[in-house]
Amino acid sequence: MSPPSPDEPVLSIHGLVAGYAGKPVARLGALNLGAGGAGLLLGPSGAGKTTLLLAIAGLAKAFAGQVRVGGTDIAALPPSRADRFRGRTLGLIFQDLHLVPGLSTLDNLLLAPFAAGLPQDRARALQLLDGLGLAAQAFAPAETLSRGQAQRAAIARAMVLRPKLILADEPTASLDDEACTTVSTLLIKAAAETGAGLLIATHDQRLRARIETQAPVEPVA
Amino acid sequence: MNHAKLVYAFVRRKPLTWSFHVLALALGVAVLTAVAALNTGLANRFDRDLAGIDLVVGAKGSPLQLILSSVFQIDAPTGNIPLSVAQTLSRNIMVRRATPLSLGDSVGGYRIVGTTPAYADLYRAGLAVGRWWNGPMQAVVGAEAARALHLAPGDTFVGEHGLSQGGEPHAATPYTVVGVLKPTGAVIDRAFLTDSTSVWKVHAHHDDGEVDPAAPREITALLITYRSPMGAVMLPRTAAAIPDVQAASPAVEMARLTRLLGTGDDVIAGFGLVLLALSALGFFVALFSAVNQRRRELALLRALGAQPKALFGLVALEAVALGLLGGCVGIGLGRAAAAVAARAIAASGPTLVLPPFGLAEIAILGGALMLSLLAALGPGLIAYRLDPVAALK
Repeated sequence: MSPPSPDEPVLSIHGLVAGYAGKPVARLGALNLGAGGAGLLLGPSGAGKTTLLLAIAGLAKAFAGQVRVGGTDIAALPPSRADRFRGRTLGLIFQDLHLVPGLSTLDNLLLAPFAAGLPQDRARALQLLDGLGLAAQAFAPAETLSRGQAQRAAIARAMVLRPKLILADEPTASLDDEACTTVSTLLIKAAAETGAGLLIATHDQRLRARIETQAPVEPVA
Repeated sequence: MNHAKLVYAFVRRKPLTWSFHVLALALGVAVLTAVAALNTGLANRFDRDLAGIDLVVGAKGSPLQLILSSVFQIDAPTGNIPLSVAQTLSRNIMVRRATPLSLGDSVGGYRIVGTTPAYADLYRAGLAVGRWWNGPMQAVVGAEAARALHLAPGDTFVGEHGLSQGGEPHAATPYTVVGVLKPTGAVIDRAFLTDSTSVWKVHAHHDDGEVDPAAPREITALLITYRSPMGAVMLPRTAAAIPDVQAASPAVEMARLTRLLGTGDDVIAGFGLVLLALSALGFFVALFSAVNQRRRELALLRALGAQPKALFGLVALEAVALGLLGGCVGIGLGRAAAAVAARAIAASGPTLVLPPFGLAEIAILGGALMLSLLAALGPGLIAYRLDPVAALK
């Protein structure tokens, strides 16, 4: 494996077939994202967008094709190194957000470095919360956040470790137009600020107008 | 963010469930701790009271009764033996030390022991104040008895007939306290020591207090320490050959008594073990359902970069933390219960000094932790093998 060069795209995908439990679910033909670039993974609900995102993150199985994140083929890494690579390189935002109730908003952000086994930069986490208008909620239990606040906290958590690539799963699915614009702007801005690639899996037509790079989810033949 | 915070957040979601399982564990630990503390306290007390006494010679009857009455002072004597017999045995070449005891009277529930100062040597009980007796009707009082009855050198008291409170007082023959012993934690703390002749004098039943020279001199028991192990072979036989006399070994009789009482201990300790096993099973079930309910959070940790072994570690940490909590609460409860029991025993009998915290508690706590960890193995393995994709989809 050659060391990734600076010219390497943040994400390059060719003919990825992803699935789990021994069953291929969906295919992604080709997608390339440069640093700071944004792309959409388009498909109706149930088409396998989440599975493809999890395969890019090295969690779901890649049956065929190639995924390189910053030049690294995560599927080729041994499991423990894949876990470490995922923790350091990727920021994941789930459709269900997955904030842990019983922990403060700040601790939910710090869960990322905790799980990745990296030093916890409280100052950075607080700064991110402040930038997303959550300074007042930093020490509130995560379950007390409104849906919009929780969404921003989840975005902040994905940003804490300055990932190379942010994967967001249906971040605008249940939002009205105004909130949709706010969230997508936040995501694009956040990614651009840190020079991270941003891949959004969505069926939301409203996002198509804002992000040009688009790739459809294909059914498995 | 740290492990403790995360485990605490997890545990706090099921306060009732975990309170119940931790309490069950604590109760099991408490029972074992209390039994261990009381047993050790009792064994130490026995050892101190035995004080190197190898053989007790007394009147025929139950050998256990002879030991209980003459060594531990908790039963009625079996009768008396002639002084001449005691004197003959004392001169036996196998005998290193022979201490005569004459029992029969008491003061406020504490026994008057007619003996020689050698009895105090058995327990290494030195004088706290005063002096030893130099004639009859002078008494040296054990520390506990002196404290309970507020006696000091110069005070006088009257013996009561019999070994329980409320016996007929021997008003004509009062004793004078001449000394008080230092506390030893042994049976001597509860005794009034006096010269053997005092006891004979009190019981001569002459109003003028003169000793009836015709009355045969008797003592209740002779406490013997062997000169060599050969004594154990020879002396019991020698004593058994004397009519109306028996010789009993405190070690043998106490072993018999411990076996009898030990059955009760075993039942209680067994009950504690069953509680422990049940609580371990409870831990297992609770952890099992907790891991299943937390599948998505555990999967999230994997997605954030945690390795499978870290998830196993979280489950194990949860079990060990709760096991430690239950163990510590249980040891506290058990020691408190043992202290209450020791006090109850002391109210009607000998004081029991509980052993300090030590190996027994560490072993019980270690056992509780091992059980908790054992209960976490299965659920931990499920967390380890969790498929994050299935949980996150």
